[in-house]
Amino acid sequence: MNQSLHYLLRRLGFYFIAAWAALTLNFFIPRLMPGDPAAIIFARFRGKLKPEAINALRETFGLTDEPLLGQYWSYLKSILQGDLGISIAYFPEPVTNIISSALLWTIFLAGLSLIISFSIGTLLGTIIAWNRSGRLDSTLPPVLAFIGAFPYFWLAMVALYIFGFELSWFPLGHAYGNNVTPGFNLSFILSALHHAALPALTMIIVSLGGWMLSMRNIMITTLGTDYISFAHAKGLSSRLIMIRYAARNAILPNFTGFGMALGFVLSGALLTEIIFSYPGQGYLLLQAVRAQDFPLMQGLFMTITFAVLAANWLVDIAILFFDPRTRK
Amino acid sequence: MNSSVLSIQNLCVNYITPGDPVKAVNDVSFEIQQGEIFGLVGESGSGKSTVVQAILRILPPPAVIAGGKVIIKNKDILSTSNTEVMQYRWKQISIVMQSALNALNPVLTVREQIEDVLKEHSDLKSKATEDRTKELLSLIDIDVSWLDSYPHQLSGGMKQRVVIAIALALMPPVIILDEPTTALDVIVEREILAKIIELRKELGFTILFITHDLNLLLEFADRVAIMKNGRLVELDKAQKIRSGGKHDYTQKLIRSLPSASGPREKGLLPRPENLDLGEQPILEVQNLSKSFHDSGIFNPRSIDVVKNVSFQVFPGEIIGLVGESGSGKSTIAKLITRLIRPTAGDIFLKGSNKKVSEARRVPLEYRKQVQMVFQDPFGSLNSVHTVYHHLARPLLRHQLISEQDLLDHIIEMLETVGLRPGTTFAEKFPHEMSGGERQRVAIARALSLGPDLIIADEPTSMLDVSIRMEILEIFARMRIEKNLTIIFITHDLASARYLADRILVLQHGSIVEQGKAEDLIRSPKEQYTKQLIKAASPGWLRSLSFNNNTKDKDVGHV
Amino acid sequence: MDKNNDSIFTRWITGILRNRKAITGVAIIFIFIFLAVLGPFITEDPTAFLGTPLSPPSWEHWLGTNGQGQDVLSQTISGARQTLLVGFTTGIMVVLIGALIGGISGYYGGRIDDFLSLLINVFLVMPGLPLMVILASWLPPGPATLTGVLVLTGWAWNARVIRSQMMTFRSRDFVSAAIVSGERNIRIIIVEIMPRMLSLLASSFIGASIYAIGAQVGLEFLGLGDVSTVTWGTNLYWASNDMALLTGSWWAFVPTGLSIAIVSFALTMINFGIDEVTNPRLIAERVWRENIPMDTVVNGITPVVRDHE
Repeated sequence: MNQSLHYLLRRLGFYFIAAWAALTLNFFIPRLMPGDPAAIIFARFRGKLKPEAINALRETFGLTDEPLLGQYWSYLKSILQGDLGISIAYFPEPVTNIISSALLWTIFLAGLSLIISFSIGTLLGTIIAWNRSGRLDSTLPPVLAFIGAFPYFWLAMVALYIFGFELSWFPLGHAYGNNVTPGFNLSFILSALHHAALPALTMIIVSLGGWMLSMRNIMITTLGTDYISFAHAKGLSSRLIMIRYAARNAILPNFTGFGMALGFVLSGALLTEIIFSYPGQGYLLLQAVRAQDFPLMQGLFMTITFAVLAANWLVDIAILFFDPRTRK
Repeated sequence: MNSSVLSIQNLCVNYITPGDPVKAVNDVSFEIQQGEIFGLVGESGSGKSTVVQAILRILPPPAVIAGGKVIIKNKDILSTSNTEVMQYRWKQISIVMQSALNALNPVLTVREQIEDVLKEHSDLKSKATEDRTKELLSLIDIDVSWLDSYPHQLSGGMKQRVVIAIALALMPPVIILDEPTTALDVIVEREILAKIIELRKELGFTILFITHDLNLLLEFADRVAIMKNGRLVELDKAQKIRSGGKHDYTQKLIRSLPSASGPREKGLLPRPENLDLGEQPILEVQNLSKSFHDSGIFNPRSIDVVKNVSFQVFPGEIIGLVGESGSGKSTIAKLITRLIRPTAGDIFLKGSNKKVSEARRVPLEYRKQVQMVFQDPFGSLNSVHTVYHHLARPLLRHQLISEQDLLDHIIEMLETVGLRPGTTFAEKFPHEMSGGERQRVAIARALSLGPDLIIADEPTSMLDVSIRMEILEIFARMRIEKNLTIIFITHDLASARYLADRILVLQHGSIVEQGKAEDLIRSPKEQYTKQLIKAASPGWLRSLSFNNNTKDKDVGHV
Repeated sequence: MDKNNDSIFTRWITGILRNRKAITGVAIIFIFIFLAVLGPFITEDPTAFLGTPLSPPSWEHWLGTNGQGQDVLSQTISGARQTLLVGFTTGIMVVLIGALIGGISGYYGGRIDDFLSLLINVFLVMPGLPLMVILASWLPPGPATLTGVLVLTGWAWNARVIRSQMMTFRSRDFVSAAIVSGERNIRIIIVEIMPRMLSLLASSFIGASIYAIGAQVGLEFLGLGDVSTVTWGTNLYWASNDMALLTGSWWAFVPTGLSIAIVSFALTMINFGIDEVTNPRLIAERVWRENIPMDTVVNGITPVVRDHE
């Protein structure tokens, strides 16, 4: 098992490098833009903050009068201490507070949709690849490909319009109803699920095609291998071969693809949240852009990036677990 | 007639293509008697594997069985329902497939893959299933401790044995072996074959054996059928075939197989009258070593592929570098042609003060002097360019010929290697030519710069047996006509014997023996050399003394 | 062995011209490009405030009006211009960068590969949208910013794929043979290897364009484009801003969305077509399926079709 640990640590190291790259990018972008970043940011704060608070904010961004390297260290120190500055749009809330409450909702909605979409898509892909001559294979891929061609958020708009506005089957926005108190009670949970249903459904349908297609393609390659022919020759039942011989092998590269697509899928999820006024990271992003709230924007960039990196690492662990070739 | 356990009648198999369907198997008929070893021989593309896969109906798309009957136990498998097809698979016939090294599911253990079959086809309870699995493993000399291993943890020979164990699981009356040992070392190959034959004596099943190696088959088959281009051209007892057979093609096949032992046939390949080698070697290799770092994420390690190799090559001679897969011979080729850099050691070209292995940039002059012919005729030419391009580029790069004279020179080169008319061949793309033709183009390319030394890395192993001698003959002729020195790399001791003046035997990255070709063959000194010669000679089966201690031999390193 | 003296390229082009999916896709794209180019000449001024805001489709305004009283049909047609321009420009640039970095990384290997691979992987793993948002917020809005931001966040995917293919080709004998004859590396990459990668580069371009169109629309929807210009993304931005959805004015956002989907879908079809023509396994499958009655096909059992000719 030593080698597996070694591998996981190496991957972790890579994610740290990526995280560091994100932090550094975050630091340099304002400085590379035309104009004085300090002036731009602080113009917004004028009249709202006491001078000491402004200085504290300067520390966060490293916009002090030290040389560049010094600024960089101050900046890193603040970030690693969890100080992401103060939001402009939600003044005077610290950025960390705003983001943490929103983070949970995003993880709930996006996480749920992702897992459901991936599972169903993979299953469909397996079945379709197996019954190559079936009607499913000629209709489903093009249909799902067409649906997947729509921008996530646009489909969300259509779904909201039809099911929320016209039919009133689902609420028009937010994470839970006004008449429910948050907490571990049944009415809250039900309300949360009811509100999450439409956005989740939208995201699932749009991304379904992608997972299905990739599993289907990998399955087709797998079905052409020698060990599948051998399995047929052995007289094993179709179902056994499809699952134990084909799918078991095909799912591994699919997991890798899952990790790589995470960042992309998450972006779509964020935009969907906006349509539904869902109080997650996406909604915050919109507010930040509208108000030109740079501290919030940069805070969001950081947390979203770290979340994706963490998720990727979890996928690495899953792959390790499923692939016996990783064991010696 | 009635003791025939498998009967193939007028079998036709087509492959559907965008154009006309390709008739892979065209009206093939034969019968196999109970208890015999029946051999099916043919070159690649002859249809032999297609026939046996059709028997089990496991041919993948775009194959279609277009006609005929396959009769087992009085039933025509080609006319039964799909459920009945499942009934007879593995119970009546099992198969050890070509490239069986890939026949095992990478994510299941050995135990699971054997038990799969037992659970599907028999009603044994779990204890009985496990006992039977262990029994099967011991039949083919694999220690039961490997039961819970995964395929990637087994060596090639062990994987092969596991596949054979699976084939034996239900004790079917007929077992098909489709090139079961092609990818293995000669010695391991012979051991496994001996084991199979021993088992057959014990258990009494019938064997249908497919191979391209006629020599091998004549050792132990009772009857042999020869296929060419989808048709059966000859079918007779093994002894009759060995003495020449009736069909032209059979005779051609027999004749193109030189033997590694016995008296040397005269006049097989042209040789110079006097081989005056001179004092100075044209190439000298000293203490050459190459290690690769396996960047496997999970267990990074260092593999020593070439270990401290030293030898000299004199101008005008042909050296045969003989070794099996994994012996390091291709790596030595890449080191001498400077495609890769050595970990240690030196290479001297034309004189002991011209060390070539250190400088990072390879001087253009070196490229002119040392050329290479590769093993795979399909991979060594670029499919998007014509023959003209392949031959013109080196000449233009080295500025040897002016643009006007280029075409004439190329045509002349093509005709030298036997591609006539040169004008037609110059325009062709690789996909328009056969393997043999492509290899000739590769040789012309190597010769075009007028090199002093040519490395030929297994130039004939991917070609049809019937044209191998022709290609070797080009090398032999060019040595004389163009004053070449040739390093001929091969695993086939017999062709080394006929082409080379001296032979170097390579095992696991080291030279175990070297000497004049005939001397080495007649009186080998080292054990490994003796084994190699024996494996390439008739009568190896009888002479191979195996005992039940073969269990220890498979160490199981990957 | 095959008697056809056409080069591989000729065969691909003829194959693609005969492939239904590719033709359909190409036709659709050409229609849109045509409309985009002719836009100003065939529609009314999309920025003119002509009618009552959010009025449904009528004879005067075939697709109705949006929240500012502008003609939706004109907006949709003129929106195509910048969106497609930015989309395809990004596509080309992404492929060029991908070929450069991926190609060099895959061909030379060693330290160069270690470094460039790390670069590629870092950019690959970082989620695109947040980074795009930050960059676009700092820069002046407009097509140049959009293109730059899209290229910066999108180049890594193709670079990785191209690198992978380059590594495969690098290990092939025809490359070794060229090296042994003394060919220079740059020449090998350009003359010997790149022609073999044409289908990959083509589908990379198309894939990148699809991504660029979608991401561009997303950014503009957030308000990060130049909201005074008419593009598909800004159309949706204004539709959302003007509460088109909550007033039930579906015509304000449906045509634009449909156009985006149709263009993306058409590009995907072209990619499928290219794949079908150049991927030998798919060719074999298709031909087989066309010639066998489907009821004889069971997975894992070779069909018997007697009198097959």
